[in-house]
Amino acid sequence: MNQADVTKLVSKLRIKVPDKHRRLRNIKGPEGRLDKLRKTVTGLIKYERIELNHHRADEARQYAERLISEAIMHGDCHKPTMDIADYWLLEKELIHKLFKVLAPRFENCNTAFTKMYKAPRVVPGRNIDKAIIELRGNPYPSLTNKQWNNRHLLQNVLLDAAKYEYRQAKYAEMAEKIGKNEDAQPKSDDSANSKPVANV
Amino acid sequence: MKQHALSISKSLLLNTSAKCLSSIRCLSTEEAVERRNHLFVLEKKRQHEKVGRIEKIEVNYKGVPKDCTLIMNKDISTPYDCARHFSEWHTEMSALALLDGTLHWDMHRPLTESCTLEFQSFNIAEPQQVNKAFWRTCSLLLGACASVAFKSTVPVALHSFPGPDIRSGSFIYDVDLPTLPDWRPTSQELHTLSAEYIRICRQKLPVERLDVSEELALEMFVDNPHKTTQIPSIAKANGKVTLYKVDKHVDISKGPLIGNTGQVGKVAVTAVHKLTGSNDSEVKQLYRFQGVALPTGVILNHFAFSLLIERAKKLNSARSPINPFADTREPAHESIAARA
Repeated sequence: MNQADVTKLVSKLRIKVPDKHRRLRNIKGPEGRLDKLRKTVTGLIKYERIELNHHRADEARQYAERLISEAIMHGDCHKPTMDIADYWLLEKELIHKLFKVLAPRFENCNTAFTKMYKAPRVVPGRNIDKAIIELRGNPYPSLTNKQWNNRHLLQNVLLDAAKYEYRQAKYAEMAEKIGKNEDAQPKSDDSANSKPVANV
Repeated sequence: MKQHALSISKSLLLNTSAKCLSSIRCLSTEEAVERRNHLFVLEKKRQHEKVGRIEKIEVNYKGVPKDCTLIMNKDISTPYDCARHFSEWHTEMSALALLDGTLHWDMHRPLTESCTLEFQSFNIAEPQQVNKAFWRTCSLLLGACASVAFKSTVPVALHSFPGPDIRSGSFIYDVDLPTLPDWRPTSQELHTLSAEYIRICRQKLPVERLDVSEELALEMFVDNPHKTTQIPSIAKANGKVTLYKVDKHVDISKGPLIGNTGQVGKVAVTAVHKLTGSNDSEVKQLYRFQGVALPTGVILNHFAFSLLIERAKKLNSARSPINPFADTREPAHESIAARA
């Protein structure tokens, strides 16, 4: 088998890539679609967290992921990668950011480089799904509340206390059982059993 | 009804003879609630008018979306008013206000001086005080729901509730039901109580606060023999009694309480136990209403919640107000109400 291993040639994305692309309908056709996506990718690399319509966000996310993974794989001395970066990033100073900031940041990352959240719909307004995409490791405060493990939260206090009480009940039960066994087995039992144990 | 309450309060103001007192003692629970509500509203209006010339204070807000300074009215603006300057989310989520980083303040209590302000919800890093306020509010609402749930033929005299102890697994209200000497609620009756509770919570009512003088407090609770004996000891510290009002229900609590009943999410009234008094106490028996609740937005598996409900069905070990010697803990009878 001297066939090249295809998986090593193309960077494998860690997000779900749909089998058909979205057309992102506009006047200029496919070219206009790419323009839109380039703007979004540039914005994402620049601001690290942006909010936009879900379709466009999901589509641009795939290109951003691919761009970063190429940058990590080939580095900044690789002409084709440089060309790709030059095409996708409309603001040229971001090319430096991509290779010098983002590539080192995500080098050892074993998840996707970006994260996408559903955002609330604007009311009143058109009924369109909104999304937020962000680069991982950005400096902004977290969007989600990760404090559900905080043991001072009311539900955790209640559950802890319930657990504690359950344990206490079990211990009491066990202690009672042991006490009963000791009562049930009189001293003769002890004297009979103690010798073999000592021998072992 | 209002006319009736008015006339009663007027006659009471004119002469507080024993005869009049006895007639008030005969008020039905509903009428008493109405009358108390009326007096509360009057007193609140009076205090609001007493402010006179409006002075401005600076409130430094810290938190999302950004830190800023608000110019508010002294003794009129509440933290709730400040929250309304930001967004609906702030008004709904804030359970307590934190002044100057140390003092916990009710959402509906007027600010008295320039201060820094933070809003606290149930999912902050250090929610102990908010939880306590929540538990206290739940107890108070349990009293409200007990006083409206019974038919008018059954007089309900609320006694008191102890300070919040969340680890005990249930919030409590001790209620005196003089005409029901031996009542064991069926599960259907408990469901009805829970439904009543949920009805109060769904209305998203603000929890109003008012400091009143001892005399007025005594007058408001004149129909309730338990509260009238508790009030002097509560007012001993500074001559004031702190009252809270939810809808029409007025009750005594030390506070602080959460801002809105809409913040009570999953809730169940789980059990009613009978407490029997010691030989020398005036009250021979009380019913201890128990329940368990979670804040709105807390998603808890129904199985886990059923465990909490099962636990809350056991008699809460908090000290009985009418039989203090059943437990070894020392504090006297009066202080329990003062702590609540």
